[in-house]
Amino acid sequence: MRYFTKQQGQKEAVPVDLEPLGNDQYKLTVNGQTYQVDALMLEHGTMTMLVDGQSYSVEFEENGDEVGVLLRGQVNRIDVADERRLRLRAGTAAFSVEGRQLITAPMPGKVVKVGDEVKEGQGLVVVEAMKMENELKSPKAGKVTELFAKEGTAVENNAKLVVVE
Amino acid sequence: MPKIRKVLVANRGEIAIRVMRTCKELGIATVAVYSEADRAALHVRTADQAFFVGPPPSRESYLVQQRIIDAAKQAGADAIHPGYGFLSENASFVRACEAAGIAFIGPPASAMDAMGEKTRARANMIKAGVPVVPGSTEPFASLEEARAYALKIGVPVMLKAAGGGGGKGMRKVERAEDFDSSWRAAKSEAMNAFGNDAVYIEKYLEKPHHVEIQVFADQYGNTIHLNERECSAQRRHQKVVEETPSPILTPEMRAKMGEVAVKAAKAVNYVGAGTVEFLVDVHRNFYFLEMNTRLQVEHPVTEWVTGLDLVAMQLRAAEGEKLPLTEAPEPRGHSIEVRVYAEDPGRNFMPSPGKITYLRVPGGPNVRDDSGVFPGYTVPNFYDPMISKLSVWAPTRREAIARAQRALSEYVVKGITTNIRYLKAILAHPEFIEGDYDTSFLTREHETLLGVEDAKLSEMALLASAVHAYQRDQKRAKTLPAASGQGGGNGGVSPWKLALRTRR
Repeated sequence: MRYFTKQQGQKEAVPVDLEPLGNDQYKLTVNGQTYQVDALMLEHGTMTMLVDGQSYSVEFEENGDEVGVLLRGQVNRIDVADERRLRLRAGTAAFSVEGRQLITAPMPGKVVKVGDEVKEGQGLVVVEAMKMENELKSPKAGKVTELFAKEGTAVENNAKLVVVE
Repeated sequence: MPKIRKVLVANRGEIAIRVMRTCKELGIATVAVYSEADRAALHVRTADQAFFVGPPPSRESYLVQQRIIDAAKQAGADAIHPGYGFLSENASFVRACEAAGIAFIGPPASAMDAMGEKTRARANMIKAGVPVVPGSTEPFASLEEARAYALKIGVPVMLKAAGGGGGKGMRKVERAEDFDSSWRAAKSEAMNAFGNDAVYIEKYLEKPHHVEIQVFADQYGNTIHLNERECSAQRRHQKVVEETPSPILTPEMRAKMGEVAVKAAKAVNYVGAGTVEFLVDVHRNFYFLEMNTRLQVEHPVTEWVTGLDLVAMQLRAAEGEKLPLTEAPEPRGHSIEVRVYAEDPGRNFMPSPGKITYLRVPGGPNVRDDSGVFPGYTVPNFYDPMISKLSVWAPTRREAIARAQRALSEYVVKGITTNIRYLKAILAHPEFIEGDYDTSFLTREHETLLGVEDAKLSEMALLASAVHAYQRDQKRAKTLPAASGQGGGNGGVSPWKLALRTRR
């Protein structure tokens, strides 16, 4: 089984090969290195993992396609897809900041302002949630080709807001 | 006035519960108000009575004065405690309470008028001989006028909502070209938060400390201070960590600032609990910033080191009792408070409302958690992201830091993202441990506090994420046939086909 993993902020996806050995044991290969992993899933999204004699307590937080992985105080946001999902998602280009970029609402809130400027890092939409205004920035320079968000309307978590191409 | 028998708490969340706890201990009945979004909230369940006041947005519920007063009348409450935020610093509400024959637990409307509008407060303080941060005392008629003023006193400047608080409607302008957009944003946020878009300008002091003095006054003009709180750990002008005593204050400075704070309170005939905020510059000069005419979020640290119950004192002051003490008590030990926010530090502190699926609250010696949530509770999107404040006490500052760390390591919130890990990083930062951190600390150390990435741990995280994805896929494949009522085992049929069948 091959999974493609992409850390937040990185452009390239890293393949991880997984072979279940039964009894919570796995053979995992990443970056050319193979590990024998003992991974026991506990309650409430926690896992205990033994790798090369090291013990890791892991916490997961799921958020849409992305999973937050906390281990030894380090937070990693990782987008994981298998080959089939990767093909399905080719259209939305979630694995790249090249090409078409869909900006979704990171939380439920109210759209306060919609802009049409398209420089990298420029504010596209302001979403108000929990009494704070949060500006969502363009991940790339380009053109706003689709606009789903309307000023003053409420949006749900992960709602489509803007497409920049 | 005679003894208070029933109090309506015109607020929600942890502060409403905090006030109700003291009321219960004093044998005073409690009344909650709630919006549609708060029907299942803890403060509603904690109170003896609860009244519905309207739709989720606070402007249509918690801020509608008449509905709050109607609820108080209906409940037969003889006093209203406003908590902080909402109507707590609204002079017209105080007058409306008076007109309805209900005691307002807080200062008189005249003191709020004098201190409420920050521009007027600055003018009043200048008159009283209190040092203030250089800046404007009058609102501006236009953007052009405001910009011209900012350029005259020189950037960086601070933009502040005249009716403000809680960091809303506040912006630091570092470059002249950013002035216009910051001005508009500050005005829009101020309008939304306070219904008043007046914004004024202050000179930005480099690396200041935010130190505030808790004051308390009775109805007979007796006014004391209850020492300081160091609140320099701020992000987006919102306090994140507070402590007392301030690590930078000498006993002489404490006495001097306390004296000025008392002078400021007396200048406006203050009654009850209030806080005078100061900025302390690198030369240890201090300037009046504003006065908060209410109980504050961070009042527990003062309670820890003074041994006083500030809410009980507020109730007694409203009943017309004299102050139980005549001068500031000597600070006893050290207290630290951290604010647990429903936000995601890893995603630029985006708010994270939603359902709390699991909650484990810290305990143990000298640990206090003022919280408004419970397992299964859905943190609504309409209100502030602060869900709890954790405070600790210990004999020394070092021990208090260790205790706060220990308590945070026990704190588990699942279902939503919180800033707990970020709080731990702050307490572990050498600058914080040394006790010399200014208001730029959190911004300056942003990267460090979010954690420098360890390559080995990143690789382990990739492995963990793959196992997680695999187990999730396995679980889905197993549960789908059961959902379709076909019994266990998918017999080699694709889970996607099964998923389609269940929808037929």
